[in-house]
Amino acid sequence: MTSIDVQALTKEYGSRRAVDALTFRVLPGRVTGFLGPNGAGKSTTMRLVLGLDRPTSGTATIDGRPYATFREPLRHVGALLDAQAAHGSRTARNHLRALAASNCLSLTRVDEVLEETGLTSVANRRVTTYSLGMRQRLGIAAALLGDPEVVLLDEPSNGLDPEGIVWIRGLLRRLAGQGRTVLVSSHLMNETASFADHLVVLGRGRLLADTPMREFIHARVKPRVRIRTTDATALRSVLTAHGHDAVQHEDGHWTVPDARVDDIGHLASAAGVPILELAAEEATLEQAYLDLTATQTEFTAQPQEV
Amino acid sequence: MAFLPVLHSEWIKIRTLRSLVGALCAVVVVTAAFSALGALDTGDEEVDPLFSAFFGFTFGQMAAIAFGTTAVSSELHGGSLRGALTAVPQRGRWFAAKMVAIAVPSLAVGLITGVASLAVGTAALGADARGLSWAEGVRGVVGCGVYLTLMALFAAGLTALLRSGVATLSILIPFLLIASFVVGDMSAGVADYLPDRAGQVVFHETWDGSLGPWTGLAVTALWTGAALLAGAWNVRRRDA
Repeated sequence: MTSIDVQALTKEYGSRRAVDALTFRVLPGRVTGFLGPNGAGKSTTMRLVLGLDRPTSGTATIDGRPYATFREPLRHVGALLDAQAAHGSRTARNHLRALAASNCLSLTRVDEVLEETGLTSVANRRVTTYSLGMRQRLGIAAALLGDPEVVLLDEPSNGLDPEGIVWIRGLLRRLAGQGRTVLVSSHLMNETASFADHLVVLGRGRLLADTPMREFIHARVKPRVRIRTTDATALRSVLTAHGHDAVQHEDGHWTVPDARVDDIGHLASAAGVPILELAAEEATLEQAYLDLTATQTEFTAQPQEV
Repeated sequence: MAFLPVLHSEWIKIRTLRSLVGALCAVVVVTAAFSALGALDTGDEEVDPLFSAFFGFTFGQMAAIAFGTTAVSSELHGGSLRGALTAVPQRGRWFAAKMVAIAVPSLAVGLITGVASLAVGTAALGADARGLSWAEGVRGVVGCGVYLTLMALFAAGLTALLRSGVATLSILIPFLLIASFVVGDMSAGVADYLPDRAGQVVFHETWDGSLGPWTGLAVTALWTGAALLAGAWNVRRRDA
């Protein structure tokens, strides 16, 4: 069981607190989405976990150990922090070979991760000729090089084309399915919703939520029912009679907040209201997230900080 | 983590960057070419044949400095340093491996440069070179290797300290081209101990200052050691 443990972690840059008394655990076997607006402290937290920045106070450990105590860290932890990490004048293969050599990893692994990230055909081209999406794939290749149990990816879908985004989704699900610990930061809600099982949400360096994604959404956004009819008057009267506050939209469909299709379907059928369409509207992570930040007014107008 | 794998990794990084390989080639070519020119154009005045034969190092050392600077600064752009320190979180070991990976090729290329420069220089000097003994020639070649290595490492340490290749080059190149000569003309006593001037005694057949060829290189080595310690301190201390 390899987890990431963050305990009372605080990092100050001058007088600014980038990370403020943060405590959470990232567990294996699931994808943990690391959410928050730009400047919320996601990247800083990742750098602190990797021992690149020194915390002002608190600790961050992987498998109970500070990162710097790993003898061959790439065999335990893989990280993508910045797509610009590879020198432009080097080829992708040489970039990965240098990383592999430092941790006594075989050249076979280099070829394997190039294959896995779809870079084999361009492996001998200089990185400067790569698009942002290809650099992102190279960064992911570097993260997977040592076949690590723990994977930290900072905004991995940045710059990826639609095909690449589908690929990364599958990759993250597969890594978690193999029992690895996967932490993925993002500020894109719909993207995160497509792969995360669990969420850690930050705002101004503080922990706002640490819950399973389904719970996070359902606790904040009530399910709605979408319904369409040819007899608006009858529908309105039956809904009102049963205490539902339905809203009619311009294109003619109705939404019934805080309701389930099972109930609304029975009501309409019993009253003989003709139904053209009846569907449950899934609450989205975006709605839940906005609800969370709305209740925490200080996080709504977030200055863009690096 | 053992030292050798890290050193191997740093060596791969150096030999896979064209600019670094180019800088090393430039050390040999530039030094030999300017030594030939310098030796051809000795005029009628009394010449130091050893200095004439190694005259090109003045220019070749710029390439050595560019090599040392670029080898470190190539790790500083974008997120490179983070990538390197994620692979090797023991920063002292990483820095030591980087410096050895700079020093070894610098020394090898410096020695080749010395041999090439001496051969070309003495050929160009012709009769003027006859006063040169074997021992002086060997001293010049070894001195050339050691001096260029120390200058490359001095630049590398300074780059790690300043965290900028541009800053390092804009300090070192004007310093070597101009400041050293100006200060040298003004006050010979102090100038003898400047990092470049001290080490350059090794290229002279005779010397009259307080430093000899080996003590001069030792003074340069002290400067380099200080730059390396400062660079290592900065790499270990600062957030990456």
